[in-house]
Amino acid sequence: MKRPRLSWVASAAAVSLLALAGCSGSGSASAASPKELTVWVMGDSSAHFDELVKPFTDSSGIKVDTVAIPWDSIDQKLTTAVASGKGPDVVQIGLSKLRVFADSGALLKLDDKTLQNYPNLAADKFLDGVAGNATAIGGNVVSVPWVSDTRVLFYRSDILSANGIAQPPATWDELRADAKILTGRGKGRYGYYIPQWDSALPVIMTWCQGGQVVGSDGMINFNTPEFQKAVDVYTGLYADKSVPTNADFDQVQGFTSGIAPMLVSGPYLASAINSAAPDLKGKWSVAPMPAGTANTSLLAGSNMGVWGSSKNVNGALKLLDFLSEPQTQLTFYKLDGQLPTVKAALADPSMTSDPLVTVYTKQLYGAKLLPLVPNWDGETGKALLDALNSIVLKGANRDSTINALFGATNSTSVS
Amino acid sequence: MKNRLAPYAFVAPAVALLLAFGVLPILVAVLVSLTDMNLGGLGDWSRISFIGTENYRRLLSDNEFWQSLTNTGIFAILGVPAVIVVSLVIALLLNRANNRYFRALRSFYFLPAITAIVAIALVWGYLYNTQFGLFNYLLSSVGLPQVQWLSDPIWVKLSVALVAVWRGTGLNIIIFLAALQSVPKEYLEAADLDGASELRKTVSVVIPLMRFAIFFVTITTIIAWLQFFDEPFVLTKGGPLGESTSISLFLYQKGFSASQFGYASAGSVILFVIIAFVTLVQLRARRTDVDH
Repeated sequence: MKRPRLSWVASAAAVSLLALAGCSGSGSASAASPKELTVWVMGDSSAHFDELVKPFTDSSGIKVDTVAIPWDSIDQKLTTAVASGKGPDVVQIGLSKLRVFADSGALLKLDDKTLQNYPNLAADKFLDGVAGNATAIGGNVVSVPWVSDTRVLFYRSDILSANGIAQPPATWDELRADAKILTGRGKGRYGYYIPQWDSALPVIMTWCQGGQVVGSDGMINFNTPEFQKAVDVYTGLYADKSVPTNADFDQVQGFTSGIAPMLVSGPYLASAINSAAPDLKGKWSVAPMPAGTANTSLLAGSNMGVWGSSKNVNGALKLLDFLSEPQTQLTFYKLDGQLPTVKAALADPSMTSDPLVTVYTKQLYGAKLLPLVPNWDGETGKALLDALNSIVLKGANRDSTINALFGATNSTSVS
Repeated sequence: MKNRLAPYAFVAPAVALLLAFGVLPILVAVLVSLTDMNLGGLGDWSRISFIGTENYRRLLSDNEFWQSLTNTGIFAILGVPAVIVVSLVIALLLNRANNRYFRALRSFYFLPAITAIVAIALVWGYLYNTQFGLFNYLLSSVGLPQVQWLSDPIWVKLSVALVAVWRGTGLNIIIFLAALQSVPKEYLEAADLDGASELRKTVSVVIPLMRFAIFFVTITTIIAWLQFFDEPFVLTKGGPLGESTSISLFLYQKGFSASQFGYASAGSVILFVIIAFVTLVQLRARRTDVDH
């Protein structure tokens, strides 16, 4: 705890004061020279991106100044940039934040005319789930795909087979049964892990039951039989005591120690496992998302947008065109481990030869985006998680909690 | 004439700073709290509209707001007495000698106050971890069941408050130590001559003479706990299900994560009023105390 800070008394006011004063408070604002570009990338380090764009600088003579923005501080950074009107030229946008960025009005509209001279940016080059109109907000395309991410089932093959489970579960019902068997290994052992912060999981479960969370009128609609089935699975895993109930469960340690030998996660978990427990190689694998009627997974990742007030729009688009070259996408996968969004890169032999990556890419083709509501993380997704978690953790009444969720979310529109 | 202006000239810089960074933001917050300002409105002011007291009405019917207000109250009730008593006791003990060992101890107790909060969160997060944490390991080694330090609705409040108490004592110990140094030796010697015991001297001479330091520490500690933010933010993000969300964290989530600046400003104005009220009550109580 610190000494009292007056700034906190009026925390929100400080932001508006920024707007009044019009000061940016950061030296990383949009570059004025046509030979320079400022790029905001998400994450703790810009080293990989710097290395990636070196050939671009060499061939075009445009200097790229990369600033790494930690995921946790993107909200404040965006707020400051919008308030001061001083943003970067190009910005990486996590798909869950796309609507917030677009609604702020800070991004340049990337219509067909703007993109016509940049062949790599044509919508048909990218994964259908994220290309062109799939990520348009209110009919306007404001970003182009950059890296993709999906969710698959991670499982410990050694533990499953030791408990008489020959194949990873192919359906959620099988998963629930298997998880129960694995939980029977003893005290403090679980079959599966549900991250309490993962608002995508209940949506994936609904998709897997063949349902949608957005109605035909473009409004969020959880009031479907498929969502009820997803809730059955979600609450059932807790009712079976197959999942840990503590919020601070460490999924990497839980997986490598075998405490929770199955979970749904993204490719980043594979690299985390490899660095945390390299000797576990061969004892774990990935499988497609369990199905109900479909096995639709989440399409996540990041897009790239051009800041509306950028003074170097042409340079920015040139950079985006370079980033969408299949070879660039493959290089970045090698450097950073993030999957491409360009179809040609995903079909490259260097990708299809890796069995793990084959599972990811297969999953990617049918994967879907979370609904592009005004604020998924902070509102709709949070309401969904709070409802489910209060049922399973606090024993709240299922019907009344779910009905309250319908009421709280059914006026949220995706456009 | 010149002389009359001089004092104003001297206080002007301080007053200007106070106005710019203290009073003006509060006034802006009051203004913003009457609007529906969000991120879009920040970039384009024409998208902001005046909605009167709607934000305040919404706040009063928002369960999350009441939950965070209740949590803040619980945190303050747990934390404020703990910080004051623990710092005072440690300061009294540290003051008993001035050799090298005690000087080293003083720096030791000050360490938590100067350690980065993120490092603290990492270490305490590992200590508290249900499956892999030291605390549960120690409990299991004496045959006690696991405790969900950061996941149980009640334990999480105690766990988060404990870290804050641990972190908050350092500075207050220094303040108390400074106050202890200024206790006049004559009073203690007089008490010695009267044959007063150590305990009697502490209770009847030292603590009354430290009244002002205790008052100062109480006020600042209460304000700090009403603005409680860092520990729940880094340890639990306010979870599980808002059980450790303080009012400041609630405002942060509404203001910065959900970009509802108008709504968050309304909350911050309410928090400001609460803090101002509590502090005024204390100042009033202090005044009657002096009269005696």
